[in-house]
Amino acid sequence: MSTVATVSSELRDLYAGESAAIERRFAGDGNGRVAVAERTALVDSILLRLWSEVVSSDPAAPKNFALVATGGYGRGWLFPHSDIDLLFLHASGNTEIEFKDRIRRFSQELWDLRMKLSPATRSLAECERLDTNNVEFAISLLDCRYLAGDRELFSRLREKSVPRLIARDAHSLIENLGELTRTRHHKFANTVFHLEPNVKDGPGGLRDYNVANWLALISAMEKLKMWPDPATLLPVSSRRAFEAALDFQMSVRCFLHLRYGRQDNTLSWDAQEEAAARKIGTPDSEIASTADWMRIYYGHVRGVHRVCTQLIEEIPAAWSSLYRQFQGWRTKIPSNDFSVVDGLIFLQQPGALQDPEKLLGLFHFMAEHGLKLSTTTEYKIEQALPALASTPPRGGELWLYLQETLLQPNAADALRAMNALRLLTLLLPELKGIEALVVRDFYHRYTVDEHSFLAIEHLHRLKESKSECDQRFAGLLAELEQPELLYLSLLLHDSGKGAASDSHIEASLDLTDSCAERLDLDAIDRETVRYLVANHLEMSAAMRRDVFDPANVKSLAEKVGAPERLKMLCLMTYADIKAVNPEAMTPWKADNLWQLYIASANYLNRSADERVHTRPRGDAGSANLAHLHSLAAVAGKKVNAFLEGLPQRYLSIHGASDVLAHTEMASRLGQNGVGCSLKQVRHWYELTLLTTDRPFLFASVSGALAAWGMNIVKANAFSNAAGIVVDTFYFTDRFRTLEMNIQEWDRLKKSIASVVRGEGDVARMLRDRMKSEKGNGTKVKIPTQIEFDDRSSAHSTLLQVITQDRPALLYRMCSVMSKNDCNIEIALVETEGQMAIDVFYLTSNGAKLSADRQGALGKSLQAELAVQ
Amino acid sequence: MTKIEAIIQISKLDAVKDALHEIGVEGITVFEARGHGRQKGHTEFYRGREYTVDLIPKAKLEIVLADDMVEKVEQAIVAAARTGKIGDGKIFRSRIDEAIRIRNGDRGDSAL
Repeated sequence: MSTVATVSSELRDLYAGESAAIERRFAGDGNGRVAVAERTALVDSILLRLWSEVVSSDPAAPKNFALVATGGYGRGWLFPHSDIDLLFLHASGNTEIEFKDRIRRFSQELWDLRMKLSPATRSLAECERLDTNNVEFAISLLDCRYLAGDRELFSRLREKSVPRLIARDAHSLIENLGELTRTRHHKFANTVFHLEPNVKDGPGGLRDYNVANWLALISAMEKLKMWPDPATLLPVSSRRAFEAALDFQMSVRCFLHLRYGRQDNTLSWDAQEEAAARKIGTPDSEIASTADWMRIYYGHVRGVHRVCTQLIEEIPAAWSSLYRQFQGWRTKIPSNDFSVVDGLIFLQQPGALQDPEKLLGLFHFMAEHGLKLSTTTEYKIEQALPALASTPPRGGELWLYLQETLLQPNAADALRAMNALRLLTLLLPELKGIEALVVRDFYHRYTVDEHSFLAIEHLHRLKESKSECDQRFAGLLAELEQPELLYLSLLLHDSGKGAASDSHIEASLDLTDSCAERLDLDAIDRETVRYLVANHLEMSAAMRRDVFDPANVKSLAEKVGAPERLKMLCLMTYADIKAVNPEAMTPWKADNLWQLYIASANYLNRSADERVHTRPRGDAGSANLAHLHSLAAVAGKKVNAFLEGLPQRYLSIHGASDVLAHTEMASRLGQNGVGCSLKQVRHWYELTLLTTDRPFLFASVSGALAAWGMNIVKANAFSNAAGIVVDTFYFTDRFRTLEMNIQEWDRLKKSIASVVRGEGDVARMLRDRMKSEKGNGTKVKIPTQIEFDDRSSAHSTLLQVITQDRPALLYRMCSVMSKNDCNIEIALVETEGQMAIDVFYLTSNGAKLSADRQGALGKSLQAELAVQ
Repeated sequence: MTKIEAIIQISKLDAVKDALHEIGVEGITVFEARGHGRQKGHTEFYRGREYTVDLIPKAKLEIVLADDMVEKVEQAIVAAARTGKIGDGKIFRSRIDEAIRIRNGDRGDSAL
C-alpha cells in the first residue's frame, strides 16, 4: 500500500471517528457554536496532514503557493454537512501550472474522504479583481484564513489585495450583495414567518447574519482602508441580540444537518417538534410547547432580518447624493412629531410617545408613507410600552386610530412593526394567541399572524396590480363603503386558531366579540365584522361546487343577503386565499371567484322583491326576523305589521335599530303623513322617508334633493303590504350646505315633506338649480345601456339602466317612468365613479310591463338620457 | 399499467376522491382545468359588461393503475361523478410503459 493510500485510510478513520464524537457531544450539550468549531478544527487537521503528504512536508512551504480557507470554512463555521470552501492561492500563473497535479491529487483525496469540497484556484492578481459574475468569490475572501503554504503570500492577500479590492469596488460589492440578498428574500416572500423556515437562506437566517456583517465590514474597510475590529462592526444596540441569535441558529442548523444526515436547512414540522423537545438552542428556557420554541426562533430571526435589511438600505444611501435628495424630499412629509431620514422615522421629541395618541399616530404615519422605524424610535417605543400597558387605550378613540392605519396603503407593514414590538397585542390582546403561531397545514406557508397581515397587504396592493383580474377586485374594493371593517375582519378572521377549540371560527367569533367591545364598535359595524369572520370560508366552499350552478349561486346569495356584504366577502376570500402561499390564488381560482361573485351579485339584484312574511319559513329573512323580535319583544306586533310584505332585501340592508326606528315612524304616520329622518353617516348623508305610496313619489324626492344640490350616490325604495313606502337616499352634499348651516337640516326635511305632499314645485326648483350651475366636463363617457328582464321576478319587470351620472339623473329617469304609467316597486340605485347603475322593479297596473310598454319606456328613456 | 385521465365537475371532486379511496386507490394527481365539450360557455353581465366564459372550470384527475384495477376505478369515477347532465366530463385511458418510485427505485406495479 502506498504512503498516500495509508494516510487516506488513516484520515478516513480519523474523520469518521471524530465526526461521530462531535455528534455525540452535540447530542449531549446541543451547543452548535462548539460543534462547528470542533468540525473546523478536525477538517483543518486533516487538510494539514494531507498537505504534508501530497504538497509539502513543511506546512509553511512551498513558496508562492498557499492553501486558504474561505467562506464559512474560513469563518470557522463548518456545520456537519457544510461545503468546505478552499482557495489554492498562487503568486502567479507559473506556480499554478507547477502545482496543478498536486492540487488535483489533494482535492481527489478529500473527495474520497467524502468531504464536500468547493475548491477555487486563483492567482493573487485574480483575487484582487472583482468578477461581477461571481461576486460570491470576492465576498468569500472577506473570511479568508491561512491554512498552509506560503504565509507571506497569504499576508499579501489579506493585508493588501483584499483591502485594495474593497477600496476600489466597495460600492459595486455592496450593491451586488444587496441585490443577491433582495432576490433571496423575495424567494421567501420577504418574511421570516414561514411555517417551515430555512434556517440558512430564509430571511433572518444565518446567511442574513453574514450579509449584515459583510456589509458592515466592507463599509468600514472602505473608510479605514484596513481591516476593522470585527467586534465593533455592528451597532451596539444590535450586537447582543445578534450573538444570541447566532448561538441559537448555529445549534439549530447543526441539529438539522445531523438529523437529516445531509445539508438540509429546512426546519420542518417534525424537526420543530424534536428541536423543541430537546430544547435545541434554548437549554435554559422553559419551553411549554413547540409553538413556544418557534416563537423564540422567530424572535431571533426577526432581529437579524431587520438589521440586515436596514443595512442594505442605509449603506448605499450614505453614498448617493441623489438618493439622499430623494430621502430629503421624504423628510418634507409634514409632521410636527416625527422626522424622516433615509426612509427611517425619528422622533422630534423623545417624550412624545408617553402620549398614546402620538404613539398610535406614529404607526399611522408609517402606514401612510411606507416608512420604517429607526432603531432609536423602536427603542423608545419599547421604553414607552410599560406605561401604556397599565392603561392601554381602548374604545372609539383606539378604533379611530386603528381604522385610519388599516386604511393606509402600507398598513400591513405598520401592523408587522406593531406586532414585533408587542404593541399590537397590547392594544388588541385578542391577537395574542396567533402571534408567530405555527399551525400545521399542508397549504399554508406562513404563521397565522403573518397570514393575516399578508391578506391585508394583498388587498392594498390590488390598486397597483396591472392584471385584468386583479383590477376587477380592485374595483370592488374601491366601491366599499367601509373598507376598514373588512381589514379589521381580516385581522381577526383566524384569531381563534390560537385557542384550544375544535372550531377556529367559533373561537375567532368569541375573540371578535371581545375586540368589538374593546373598540366600542357600533352595533351595525360589529355585526358586519362578526358576519365576515363567521363566513370567511363560505365563498371558498361555494367555489368547490359549480360556480355556474343557479342553485349554488342562489344558496350563496341568500346566505349573504346584501350586495355590500357580498363585495366584502368576495374580497375577503380573495385576500385569504392569496395569503395562504404565493401560488394559492391561481388565475383559475381568481376567475372562478369572480364568476361566483357576479352571478351572486346579479342574483341579489334580480331577487330583491322576494317578500318578508313575518311567519318564519326557515328562509334567509327569518333569522333577521327572529333577531328583531328578540330586540323588540314588546313592539313585536308593530314590527310584524310593518315588515309584512317588505322585500327581503329591506332586511338585509337595514339593521335592527333602523327597522325599529322605521316601525316607530310608520306608527306615527297619519293620513297623508310623511316621516322623514336625516343623518350624517361617514362620507354621506342618509335621508329616510316613510309615507304612503303615490305616483311620482320617488321621482319627486330625487328631484328635490338634486335641486338642493345634493348628489345621490345610492338609493333604495321599498314598500310593505300596507302601502307604506320606505325610501332611503344616500347623498353627498356638493356645496356643503348642511355642513355649514345646521338650520338647513330642518329646512331640507321640510322641503322634502312639502314635495311629497305635492305642495312644492320640483320642476321649478330644479330649473333654478340648473341655472346657477355650469355644466361640469365629464372625464369618462359612459354609453347608456337599457335592459329589461321579465324572468327574474315573479311580480315585476326589472329595468337596469347604466348611464353617465349627472345632476338630477334619478329625477329625470323616474319622471319618465311615472309618465309611462310605471310604478317603481323597488329601486336599487348605485353610482360607481361617473357611472350610474340603477335597477328598478317596475309594474304597471299591478302587473309586469307589457312588451309594448317596455318598448315605449325604453325609447323615452333613451331620448331623455341622450340630453346631458 | 394504465393511465386514467378523468375530467370531472369541480363539485364532484370530493365524491370521486372518496369513491377512489374506498376501492383502495391511494394516489391521485389533481389539476385545475378549463375546457368544454358539448357543454358550451357561460355568459354573465355585470355592471354593463359582458363576462363570457368559453372554457368551463373543471377538475382533472390522473391516476396510473395496475391493469386489473382499471375497470373498477372507471366505474367508481363514473358512479361518483355522474349527474346525468351535460358537462359531467370524460374519462380517457392510455397505456403506460414504466413507473419508477423516485425514493427507492422500485419499478412497475410495485412503484404505484
